Amino acid sequence: VNNALRRLIGLLLLASPLALGAGTAQAHPHVWITASSQLIYAPDGSITGVRHAWTFDDMFTTYALQGIESKTKGVYSREELGPLAQTNVESLKEFAFFTFAKADGKKEKFLEPVDYYLEYKDDALTLYFTLPLKTPVKAKELSVEVYDPSFFIDFKLADKDPIKLVGAPAACQMKFQRPNDGTAGAQKLGEQNFLSGDNSNYGAMFANKITVDCP
Amino acid sequence: MRSASQSFARAVAIGAAALAVMLALDGAAQVLPAQNAFGGPRPGAEPQIGGIVGWLLAKQSEFYREMSSTIRAAKSDGSAVWTLLAISFAYGIFHAAGPGHGKAVISSYLVANQETARRGIALSFASALMQSLVAVVIVAVCAWLLNATAKTMCGAEKAIEIASYALIAAFGFRLVWTKGGGFIGALQAPRPAVVLAAAAHHHGHDHGHYHHDHHHHDDHVHDEHCGHVHGPEPSELAGPRGWRRGFSAILTVGIRPCSGAILVLVFALAQGLFWAGIAATFVMGLGTAITVATIAVIAVSAKDLARRLSGAREGGGALFMRGVEFAAAGLVLLFGVGLLLGYIAAERVTCL
Repeated sequence: VNNALRRLIGLLLLASPLALGAGTAQAHPHVWITASSQLIYAPDGSITGVRHAWTFDDMFTTYALQGIESKTKGVYSREELGPLAQTNVESLKEFAFFTFAKADGKKEKFLEPVDYYLEYKDDALTLYFTLPLKTPVKAKELSVEVYDPSFFIDFKLADKDPIKLVGAPAACQMKFQRPNDGTAGAQKLGEQNFLSGDNSNYGAMFANKITVDCP
Repeated sequence: MRSASQSFARAVAIGAAALAVMLALDGAAQVLPAQNAFGGPRPGAEPQIGGIVGWLLAKQSEFYREMSSTIRAAKSDGSAVWTLLAISFAYGIFHAAGPGHGKAVISSYLVANQETARRGIALSFASALMQSLVAVVIVAVCAWLLNATAKTMCGAEKAIEIASYALIAAFGFRLVWTKGGGFIGALQAPRPAVVLAAAAHHHGHDHGHYHHDHHHHDDHVHDEHCGHVHGPEPSELAGPRGWRRGFSAILTVGIRPCSGAILVLVFALAQGLFWAGIAATFVMGLGTAITVATIAVIAVSAKDLARRLSGAREGGGALFMRGVEFAAAGLVLLFGVGLLLGYIAAERVTCL
């Protein structure tokens, strides 16, 4: 009995962090976003914000347009989509706009989005918005990641020129990495991280990662 | 003294019980390798989840994406509806096999109670049916009748979501209340020191004086020697009143619709094929039910096996089984509270 009880208590102990700490149990993405982004720089060479253009897949586009009135059927003006854009940016706040920036290794915060609107073209909605950095920074090494940690949304960088630097100093070099790059290595590292309990940087490995080096 | 066969029986019993609990946990357990169990950031993409789970995720993702194009195709070509139904069915099966709290709650409930596999199957089908119904009703009322916006619909979904988590927590609390009494009773009555003395040595020889020797009628592992225990009789649970309890399980799990079904329904409605969306939703539910029922049956069988094997031993088996039930009841409560407080996020409601 002792033995059995011990196992049982062990099981319970094992179970509680599993049940409580399991975090987000996402099954698979329900929304697909094709993203292109611009990193906006001030004349002094500091980065001031990120401007996103996110195009939604057709299922979500249809869902989002449900109940939105338009003068012409199948055509939506920017004004008609205004309230929806408002809802979008308000909802995205909860998820930190799925945009995670680090300047020289330090996490940067974003202010509320500005210049946001929706555009309906070719059966797809595109959300445009700018995330101003709370404090513009000059960074030797800047990284911006776009991903949904819970993977409800699958972010994919647009095929062509997904990332642009706007007004960046000439010496700055930009690279970006798509999540499927280097998966094998990431998987291995992930397991190691998990086993050692140090996986604070784990999710970032599968993000769309943009890095800008300004010497 | 213990014989070797008894040791073996116990080892298998523990294994079976562990399997039952792990199955009940499966939602959480499956995602665990993929993410930080302690609240850190989680991975942002699919490929990191390797093996079977990764494959399941990839498959259902594939099926899900195919749905929208198939619905579009069905507008001009009626036969595409059959493809849609086939995809929906496959999606349902795969979707339920992935992480999710629904089957975790149902399995835990079945393990916590003296439920039969047959009832497990019935509960799985009933809750999946209810889940489909709720999704159809939400979209029919909000989108079709009221032409409400996605924002309104997602508000309704959110309200239902919170209600369903609260229901799971309340349901879990009730299970813990009844099962906990029995477990504590079983612990206290014979040997209160057992838990504390859970050290490295065996006490197999100590148990000759147990009063809880129920293996003669081994489906009665409850503890009738403790007058203060108010747990329901197994016969009660198996009888017609059990169905009322079972209904709470259906309600707690089934009331929350699947975000995927809602998206598909709205999309089908916009394409003028609402009926096809409804059919797809129910077929999806059928697929889900099959998977959940399978998991439920495994959970129940594992528990039965554990009970039979531990029943072969002296009273300790009863204590052990009560513990397993208590653990399963605790899991339902943990799931409910975890979901409610956001520690465990189920499939997100589509609000963007």
